[in-house]
Amino acid sequence: MRISTDVGGTFTDLVCIDGDTVTIAKTDTTPPQFDVGVLNAFEQAKIDPAQCEQFVHGTTVVINALLSRGGAKTALITTRGFRDVLEIARGNRPDLFNIAFKKPAPFVPRHLRFEVTERVSYTGEVITPVALREIDAIADRLRDQGVEAVAICFLHSYKNDEHERRAEAHLRSLLPEASIVSSSEVCREWREYERTSTTVLSAYVHPLAKRYLGELQTKLGKQGLRDAPFIMQSNGGISTIVGAQKNPIALVESGPASGVLGAAELGRIIGERNLIALDIGGTTAKTALIEDGRARITTNYRIEWNRTNPGYPIRTPVVDLVEIGNGGGSIAWVDEGGRLHVGPQSAGSSPGPAAYGRGGGDPTTTDANLLLGRINPKLFLGGAQEPDFDNVRAVFRKLADRLGGDVEDVARGIVRIANANMVNALKLVSLNRGYDPRDFALIAFGGGGAMHAVSLADELMVSKVIIPAHSSVFSAWGMLMSDLRRDFLFTNVIAVTPENAERIETAYQTLEQSGALECEREGMRKSGLRIERYADMRYKGQEHTVKVELPGRGHEKMLQAIDIFHTAHKREFTYSLDAPIEIVNFHIAIYSEIKKHALAKRRKSGTTVNDIQTEIRKVDFDVDGIRDARCYDWSGFEPDMAIEGPAIIEDATAALVLPPGRVAVMDDFGNIHIDMER
Amino acid sequence: MQGGGHDIYTQEIIKNALNAIGDEMFDALARTSMSPIIYETLDYSVGMTMKNGELITQGNGTTAFLGMIDAVVKDVLEKYGVNDGIQPGDVFISNDPYIGTHLSDVALVKPVFHDGELVAFLVNKAHWVDVGGSVPGSFSPSTTEVFQEGLQIPTVKIVEGGQLVSSVLEMIKANIRVPAASVGDFWAGVAANNVGESRLLGLFEKYGADSVLSSMTALLDYGESMIAAELKNLPHGVFEAEDWIDDDGVGEEPLRVQVRIEISQDRFVADFSGSAAQALGPINHSRAALISAVRTIFKALTNPHIPANGGCFRALEVVCPDASLFTAERPAAVSTYWETMLHVEELIWKALAEKIPERLTAGHLLSVCGIIISGVHPDTNEPIILVQPLVGGWGAMHDRDGLNGQFCIGDGETYNIPVEIQEARYGVRINHYGFHDEPGGEGAYRGGKGVRLDYEILCGEATFTASFGRHKFAPWGADGGCDGSNNYIEFIRKEDTDGRRDVRGKASSERLRQGDVVRCVTATGGGWGVPKDRERRAIENDLRDGFVSDDRARDVYGYRS
Repeated sequence: MRISTDVGGTFTDLVCIDGDTVTIAKTDTTPPQFDVGVLNAFEQAKIDPAQCEQFVHGTTVVINALLSRGGAKTALITTRGFRDVLEIARGNRPDLFNIAFKKPAPFVPRHLRFEVTERVSYTGEVITPVALREIDAIADRLRDQGVEAVAICFLHSYKNDEHERRAEAHLRSLLPEASIVSSSEVCREWREYERTSTTVLSAYVHPLAKRYLGELQTKLGKQGLRDAPFIMQSNGGISTIVGAQKNPIALVESGPASGVLGAAELGRIIGERNLIALDIGGTTAKTALIEDGRARITTNYRIEWNRTNPGYPIRTPVVDLVEIGNGGGSIAWVDEGGRLHVGPQSAGSSPGPAAYGRGGGDPTTTDANLLLGRINPKLFLGGAQEPDFDNVRAVFRKLADRLGGDVEDVARGIVRIANANMVNALKLVSLNRGYDPRDFALIAFGGGGAMHAVSLADELMVSKVIIPAHSSVFSAWGMLMSDLRRDFLFTNVIAVTPENAERIETAYQTLEQSGALECEREGMRKSGLRIERYADMRYKGQEHTVKVELPGRGHEKMLQAIDIFHTAHKREFTYSLDAPIEIVNFHIAIYSEIKKHALAKRRKSGTTVNDIQTEIRKVDFDVDGIRDARCYDWSGFEPDMAIEGPAIIEDATAALVLPPGRVAVMDDFGNIHIDMER
Repeated sequence: MQGGGHDIYTQEIIKNALNAIGDEMFDALARTSMSPIIYETLDYSVGMTMKNGELITQGNGTTAFLGMIDAVVKDVLEKYGVNDGIQPGDVFISNDPYIGTHLSDVALVKPVFHDGELVAFLVNKAHWVDVGGSVPGSFSPSTTEVFQEGLQIPTVKIVEGGQLVSSVLEMIKANIRVPAASVGDFWAGVAANNVGESRLLGLFEKYGADSVLSSMTALLDYGESMIAAELKNLPHGVFEAEDWIDDDGVGEEPLRVQVRIEISQDRFVADFSGSAAQALGPINHSRAALISAVRTIFKALTNPHIPANGGCFRALEVVCPDASLFTAERPAAVSTYWETMLHVEELIWKALAEKIPERLTAGHLLSVCGIIISGVHPDTNEPIILVQPLVGGWGAMHDRDGLNGQFCIGDGETYNIPVEIQEARYGVRINHYGFHDEPGGEGAYRGGKGVRLDYEILCGEATFTASFGRHKFAPWGADGGCDGSNNYIEFIRKEDTDGRRDVRGKASSERLRQGDVVRCVTATGGGWGVPKDRERRAIENDLRDGFVSDDRARDVYGYRS
C-alpha cells in the first residue's frame, strides 16, 4: 500500500494505491497544525498507517511560513562592506510610474546583518583570510537578541566556499542550537543578492520546517507508520526526510510540482510525451510545458513577485511553471474605464462565490459557470448545498446594468475573459518559448480543469485534451509517481572548446562525486543512483542562459549538446549565432528510483453510455449556442464508451464540459481523451 | 453577442492581447541582448503604434522613453510616408537625439502590413553600450556639440524588403567601439520586433482587421477616460516650482529652471517658459524628451497602473519656447540629457508634492548617477567598458520613511549589476556597497538612504566618467522636513598624499591607475515633516540600525537616551 497526502491551501488530499484499488480522500486543511488534517484524511479514507509501505507527503508549510512571515527570527553574516546587499536588492521598481512605490522589506533588519572581514576574488582565490574571531562577538549578539536562525553568505562563495564552511563550523560550536545555513549548501550560483536572499529565506523557514517534519514523522510513527515519510520537493522529485529537514527551501513549490510531475509520468505511461499541464484551482491556475516526457526545471524563481512588486528571489530548482490569479473563485469586476476584469482577487471559500449564499456579493467564475448550466446545481459543493440562485442573479444583474446585455451575456463574458487569461498563461509556456501547441496535448486537472479544458484547447489549437482519472486530487496522485531526486548546480564559467573538454568533464565528475556523497548522507541508497547532466549555456557575451540536457559524457556528446543549444536558442529567441559558447552553470540531477506498481486498468462492466446518462439539461456553450446537453455520471464512464457533445460528464468533484461535435473516450486506465484535431 | 464578433468581451480580449504584445517584445529583447545595460539594467523600451504613430502599447524598462516610441514613428512617417517609402519587410534605424534622447539610444522601427495594408508600427529603443564619439561609452559631461558624442544615424532603412542593407550596418560597425555586442543588440531588437509582428498578425487572422483596429481605438479611448476620471480628483488651480541644475558640465554656473502648472477639470498644462536657455554643455534635451518627462510624472499623478498609451495623454499640454534647455536644437550637445529630464519631472513633483501627498514623496536622489569605467580586464587583457546607474535614497512620504537604495524615477525595472558579475566581467574590485549615514533627510519621516560604492582599479590604467546631478543642490525636504544629502564622486588615489579630498559631481575621462579607488556616494532623500515630530521609537530604530549617528540624533531630533 502506497499513500500520498497533498496539503493545499484549502484542502488536504489523500491518494492510496493498494494493488488495483485506488482510494481518495479530501479533508480540510488545518493550519497551523497541518498534521491534524493529514491524520483526518487517513481516518476519512479508513486507512491504517501501519499497512502503509511507503508514504509521500507534499506540504505548503514552507511557502505558508514565507507568505505569512511566520518564520524564525533570522540574522545574516556576510562579507565586510556588504551587509546592505540584502536590502538594496536589485534597486528595481517594476511599478514604474508609481512614486509611492513600496519596496519589499528585507527578511533580516539591518541590526541583525553582520559583517566579517574576509574576501575571495571572482576566481576563488583568497584575498583576505576569514577573521573567525570576529564571529565570537557576533554570536554573543545573536544570543542576546534571541536569534533562532542564521544565514551565512560571502561574496564569490559559489566559487570557493571555504570561508563559509569555516565560519559555519565556528558559529555552530558557539551556537549549537541555532539553525545555520550557508549559501553554498542551498545555492551555488553567482549574483550575491539572489544567493543571499535564497540563504536568508532558507534559514528563515529552517527551524519551523524541521520541527514540522519531525513531528509529522513522530505522530505518524505512533499511528503505526513504519518507514520515514518521503517529502515532495519543488523540483518534481521526492526527498528523504533527512534531506528535506536540511534543505527545506527545496519544498517551496511542493504541491504544484507534483501535479506537473504526475502529468509527465502519466504521459509516459499512455504514450503522450508532449504535454501542456494545466491545474485550475480555487484561486489560481498553474501551467507548465512537458517536452519529451520532461518538465523544465529552473532556479529563476521568486515569491510575491508580480507586475508591481519585485518579490524575493529563491534560487532553488523549481518546476518551471506560470501561475495566474484565475480560478473558480476569481472575482469579476469593472474598472472606472468600463473594462471587465476577472481576478486576481478571489472570493476564497469564505464568503466564497455568490452562489454559496454566505454573503458573497461578488460575481465569480464559478457563478458564471453555474448560470450557464455547466455546473449541476444538484452536485454543487459536492451535493451538500443548493446554490443561491437569487443572490447570483442579483449580483450579475448589477454588472449587466453597467455593461449592457442580460445576465447570461455577462456570465458568458466572464467565462470568455477567464478563458482568455488562462490561454495567455498557456501561451507563455508554449508559443512564447517557440513551441507550437499543435504538437502538444493539454492535460487538465484540479477542481476546474475539466470545466474549461476543451474551450481552452480549442483556442490554443492543441491536438488533444486529456482529463486524468481522479483529476481533482491529481497532484497527490503525482507524488506516488515520483522518484527521489536531488539537484546540484554551480556557477563555473567555461568556454566550450576542445581544449576545455577535460576541465568540463572534471567539473561534472567533481559535482557528481560530492552530490552522490550528499545523497548518501541524506539516506539515498548509493547503488542504483542515476545521474543526468545539464548545462546552462549561453553565447559568450550574453547573460541569460538556456538549459540543455547533455546527451552523454565526453567532448563528442558536448558537440551534440552545442547543436541542441543552437536549436533551443533559435526556438526560444528566433535566432542562433555563430559565436563562442560558454557553460555558465553546471547542473546535475541525481535520481534513486522508487518501486511503483503498474497502473491499474479500469474495470469494464459492459454497461452502455445510455445507462450512465442522468439527465438532459440546457447548457450554454457560448459560440456554440444554448443546447440540450446530455449529462453523464463520470463514475460509470468506462473504456469502449464514447460520449458525444453537447454533453456534461460530472460527479461531485468535477464536471467536464464537452461542446457539440467533440467526442470523449476513456483509455484503459480511466483517463478521458478528447481528440481536438477533427 | 453570439458569434464572437464585435462584442465588448471580445474587444476586451483583443485589448489585453495588444497590451501583452508589449510585454512579450520586452522580454524577447532582454533575453537576447548582448549588453548588461540592456539585459541587466533594462535601459530600453518597446512599443506599438497605430499606423499614424499614435501609441497603442509600450513595454518599459525605464520611464525615460514614454514619449519616444511615437516620436520616432512620426519621424519615419514624415520622411518615408510618401511615395510608398514604407514597404513590407523594412526596418528603420534611428538615433536622432532631436526627436529622441541621446545618440546611445538606438531605435528600430518595423512597419506591419496585413493584406498589403500598413496597420501598425513596432518599435524598440535601446541603450547601446557605445556609439563612438570622444569617450568610451559615448556619454560625457563635457561635450559641446553633438558631433563629439558619436555616430549620428538619422532614421534610415537598415533592412529593406527583408534584405539587410549591409552597407549601413558596416558603416555603423566602423564607428563604434564594441561592434560585436552592438550588432548582437541590433539583431536582438530585430527579433523583438519580429515577435511583436507575429503576435499582432495572429490577432488580425483570428479576429479580423475590423475587430483589431476598432479595439486599438477603444484602447486609446479607454486610456483617455481612465485619466479623465483621475483628473477630476486632482487639486485644481495654478501651482509653481523652481529649482537649480548644478551646472552644464562645461561651466560652473547653476542654471535656473521653473514650471507653472494649471490643472482644471479636463486639462493639465505644464508651462516651462522662463527656464534656462540651451546650454553649451551636454545637459540639453529635445522637446520629445520634455514631453516624455512630463508624461511620466503626469502618469504618476493620475493613474500609475493602467497600461500607457496615446489616449492617456490627450488631456496633457506642454508649453516651452524653442531653443531652451528643454527644447534644444541641432547641434546642441545632449549626451547627458536624462539628468535634465529628471529635473523636469521633479519640478512638477515639487510643485504638487504637498498638494497630492498620497501619490508623491519629498525630493529623491534625482540623478541616474551613471558611471563609466573603461580599461582592460587585468586577467584577460580584453578591453572593458563598465556602464551602470546607481541606486540612492528616495524622499519620505507624509506617512512613512523614504525608500533606501532605489533607482531614480528615470529608471524603473532597472537592475544593478551584481558585485560578483562586475568583478568577474570587468576585473574591477568593489570594496564596499552599502548605505551611508551622512547627515540629511531628517524629518517626522526621514528620507531613504543613499549608498556608498567603492571601486578599486585593478588594471594598470583606466578612465572614469560620470555625471551626478544634485551635487550642489540636495534633494528637497517637504512640509518642514530637512533636505537630503548630495550625490558625489570622490577620487582616492594611491599617490595623493596632501590629504585634500577630491570630491566632484561630474568627471570626464578621469585617468586612474592600479590601486586607485573611486568612491561613488548617492544622495539620501528629503525628509517629510519637522524632525522634532519624529517618533522616539523610530529614532531608536535608526540608532540601532546605524541610520543616524548619536550626535545627529541629538542635534536634529533633540533625542536624549
